[in-house]
Amino acid sequence: MAQDWKSFEPLLIPDIPNLQQIEVYEGNGGYDALKKILNDQNEWSRDNVVNEVKQANIRGRGGAGFNAGLKWSFMPDPDGGPRYLACNGDESEPGTFKDRKIFEFNPHLFIEGALIAAYAMTIDTIYVYIRGEYISWVEKFQKAVDDAYEKGYLGENIMGTDISIDLEVTYGAGAYICGEETSMLESLEGKRGYPRVKPPFPAQKGLWGRPTTINNIETLANVPLVINNGAQWYSDLGAEEHPGPVLYGISGHVNQPGVYEYPTGVPVLELINDVAGGIRGGKDLKALIPGGSSTPVLRADQLEGVTMNSDSLKDAGSMMGTAGMVVMDEDTDMVDVLWRIAHFYHHESCGQCTPCREGTGWLEKVLLKIKNGEGEMKDLDLLLDVGNQMEGRTICALADAAVWPVRHTINRFRDEFEARCKKSTHAVA
Amino acid sequence: MPEVFIDGKRYEFEGKPMLLQFILDQGLEVPFFCYHPAMSIPANCRQCMVKVGTPVKDRETGEFEHDENGDRKIRWFPNPQTSCSTPLQDGMVVHTQETSEEVARAQKDNLEFILVNHPLDCPICDQAGECPLQIQTYKYGPEGSRFEVKKVHKPKRVELGPRVTMDAERCINCTRCVRFTEEISETNQLTIVQRGDDNYPQTAAGEEFDDPYSMNTVDICPVGALTSTDFRFKARVWEMNQTPSIDITNGKGCNVDLWTRDNEVLRITPRENDEVNDYWMPDAGREAYKLFNENRADRPSIKLDGDNQSNTSWNNAIETFAEVLDAHEADDILTVGSPHASVEENFAFNKFFNLLGSSNAKFTPDVIPGAGDDFLITDDQAPNTNGCRAINLDEADSNSLQSAVSGAKVVIILSDDLVGREVLSAADLNDSYTISFATNENDTTNVSDLVIPITCIAEHAASYVNVDGRIQRSYPAKETKYTNRRLNLEMSEGRLDRYGTNFDNWVSEENKVDCLPVWQFLNKLAERINLDFSYNHSRDVFADISEQFDMLSDISYERMDEENGVQLPIKQEEVKQA
Repeated sequence: MAQDWKSFEPLLIPDIPNLQQIEVYEGNGGYDALKKILNDQNEWSRDNVVNEVKQANIRGRGGAGFNAGLKWSFMPDPDGGPRYLACNGDESEPGTFKDRKIFEFNPHLFIEGALIAAYAMTIDTIYVYIRGEYISWVEKFQKAVDDAYEKGYLGENIMGTDISIDLEVTYGAGAYICGEETSMLESLEGKRGYPRVKPPFPAQKGLWGRPTTINNIETLANVPLVINNGAQWYSDLGAEEHPGPVLYGISGHVNQPGVYEYPTGVPVLELINDVAGGIRGGKDLKALIPGGSSTPVLRADQLEGVTMNSDSLKDAGSMMGTAGMVVMDEDTDMVDVLWRIAHFYHHESCGQCTPCREGTGWLEKVLLKIKNGEGEMKDLDLLLDVGNQMEGRTICALADAAVWPVRHTINRFRDEFEARCKKSTHAVA
Repeated sequence: MPEVFIDGKRYEFEGKPMLLQFILDQGLEVPFFCYHPAMSIPANCRQCMVKVGTPVKDRETGEFEHDENGDRKIRWFPNPQTSCSTPLQDGMVVHTQETSEEVARAQKDNLEFILVNHPLDCPICDQAGECPLQIQTYKYGPEGSRFEVKKVHKPKRVELGPRVTMDAERCINCTRCVRFTEEISETNQLTIVQRGDDNYPQTAAGEEFDDPYSMNTVDICPVGALTSTDFRFKARVWEMNQTPSIDITNGKGCNVDLWTRDNEVLRITPRENDEVNDYWMPDAGREAYKLFNENRADRPSIKLDGDNQSNTSWNNAIETFAEVLDAHEADDILTVGSPHASVEENFAFNKFFNLLGSSNAKFTPDVIPGAGDDFLITDDQAPNTNGCRAINLDEADSNSLQSAVSGAKVVIILSDDLVGREVLSAADLNDSYTISFATNENDTTNVSDLVIPITCIAEHAASYVNVDGRIQRSYPAKETKYTNRRLNLEMSEGRLDRYGTNFDNWVSEENKVDCLPVWQFLNKLAERINLDFSYNHSRDVFADISEQFDMLSDISYERMDEENGVQLPIKQEEVKQA
């Protein structure tokens, strides 16, 4: 990572007033990437676009970090039937609030990226699924879509070419599980948001049984950057194995919480201290959840030299996730934190698979018992055991996401949990 | 042929079977709850986990790679796989709970999860004794529980519809009921509501679960969450005998089981037959059990003065019958067979009066056009219309039957409520002496001069031909005054201690109806009037039938038993309107 990250000029949400207005966006090079492709479809054949994006190595910003171009290449050859791009704007993971910035401040960048993706995969229908609680962002984004239709970037014969692509904005009713890609497809189909059994994968059988690619909003917003500046330029940004700009959502006990755009690979402590203004009240850092509530918590002493990219975080014992960083100061009660996280997963488990349906509730109830000062030492081992019984045994990854914080918070702050249990009314058991 | 190794044993397979179904087809066992062979595979209960590996193939040659011992290299899936949703692949290696500690542990873990919020109220649960959760917990579950916090509470005693009651706390969320209404009955009346451990099946707000097939969800519910409102708390499963039979409430002849205790049929459930009804039956057919217990024609009855019927002895009934026959010419006697009676009953009835010189019995199909659906409910309301045709009874519509009745001095009706279903009016029978063979009291027996009580389908072995021309048979499920469970070898004895004595609580003298099989009554009548007519068993009646009718020549009870019913070459035509 270059040392000059602080001089980085934002690309996803540049500091341009009213960029959400289509004229302003156009006036600042907006839709140029799309024009570039559609005006020279020989140079920018569908395969070439896919390859360019693949080489840029945009790692999915929804949490899994999978190469976006590679994902696109899984789509089967067109057979004349419908194919879909489903854009995941359900961001519901606690600590994650980045996509809404795109909807609000640079929606056309995302629309342009989605159009390029649709072109590259021979798709004529784009669905954008936004979490129900974001109703005001749904409205903001819908305005941008309407403008894009009016200007001819969406709809029939885009910019006079024979390419026609529609974009439909839709939203959920407030279920975290609908951010899981196959549940989101069920929800889009008007059904209850239950994750689907894979295989078949969405690229084979997605929406209404047709080939479908699902990308995160931020991921697609990166696409025009790649087309405008080239894969090489993009992959030189930030960390080598995980390049590009990232919207860091920093929350918790910092002086200036918010969404900040920097390349990947920024040192974690510098983000906390130099970007987010340091710990509130001059206190010490105690712990960090680096990428949304499901990513394993790291103790302050584990953060020395750690940077925000997948390899570095993996070495430290966590994950990049959505780069939604939750910062906790020295006064934070980790039992309380873990109970609150467990409460979330209990509340959000769809209930389809037995281990997750029953396990998330069990975890929360035992943690509540400990939090209320009624825990026993054996409860800590029980929590770890229940977690082991859940992980890897369900259709989707919600159970895993519920287990990781439990396992790592207990292991990394075990003394704190033990102290609470020892003080309890049932201390020696 | 592709091969698969399950617990160290090699099996060959064809096509693309799923692992769980393949395991079950081999007679092996893996516990499961949500899987049902007739429905889609949601893989949500996670119980059927097994360890699965596939052989490593050389990318260039496509040959299997081997390790230093010469064994095939196996690439194991990192996590246990749900066998229901795993398609078999050539060379796949599978370890079930029998040969893998890891799998046994995973299954035990899963059962522990299923049980944490289950109320464990087996002692008051109808499902106990036939409960997959109970059985599999005994076999594969953990001992005791580590769950020491509060269970979730959910709605109980919810009447989802007129026939199904739900206890949401018992529900393990397998979604079988929901998938049934989506995929089988196609009413889409049920869905899962709420989330996580709060969820349970429910109808849309204000709607009720009145699907005409709703009670099938009770059968496929792997716990006691959905119970039959009617059968709830009536009997423990282990107190009942289970006897194969067929549904008599319409023409489809759904294969069923009759569940009896103390000579009462307490419930009817579907019995699997891929050729007829798969695993299902309409709700209406389940309510037929009341016909077998209630309002039965019990002891012969006779009209002595005016319109008052009174019970009489069998001797007197036979004597009266004989006198009526003696006093009339064969031409004055009209015999009416019945699509509601079995092939054997119609045949014996018809043969008896043929021997006395009467022409073939008439019969009137019981068809309500439009009453049926495209599934298991037919327009035909009777179980044996095609059986009457197969033995050449004389098919008559309402009008021609009325005119035949008006020309007759004696009308003898076999088990058909012709007045009740308005083929005849009570007045039509005023001028003739009417004799009814009947299982139940009805509008026709009420206006009859002599009523001979006969056995119903739950009391005799007999065969019926359904609308599609399939002949299937019943077995005696409950005793009459004149049968004995321990002497009648065709009677089912569902319990392990089947050589019971009178002191065993499942041998019961209660609720025995005073009635006879048609052929047995006719034996006695024949003896009285010196007619050469005698059968020892309905099996003998059927032997006679197959001798006389080419269509039935190679059919026997044994063949019906072996093949679960036999298709006759009767066209699958719509049963003609009466």
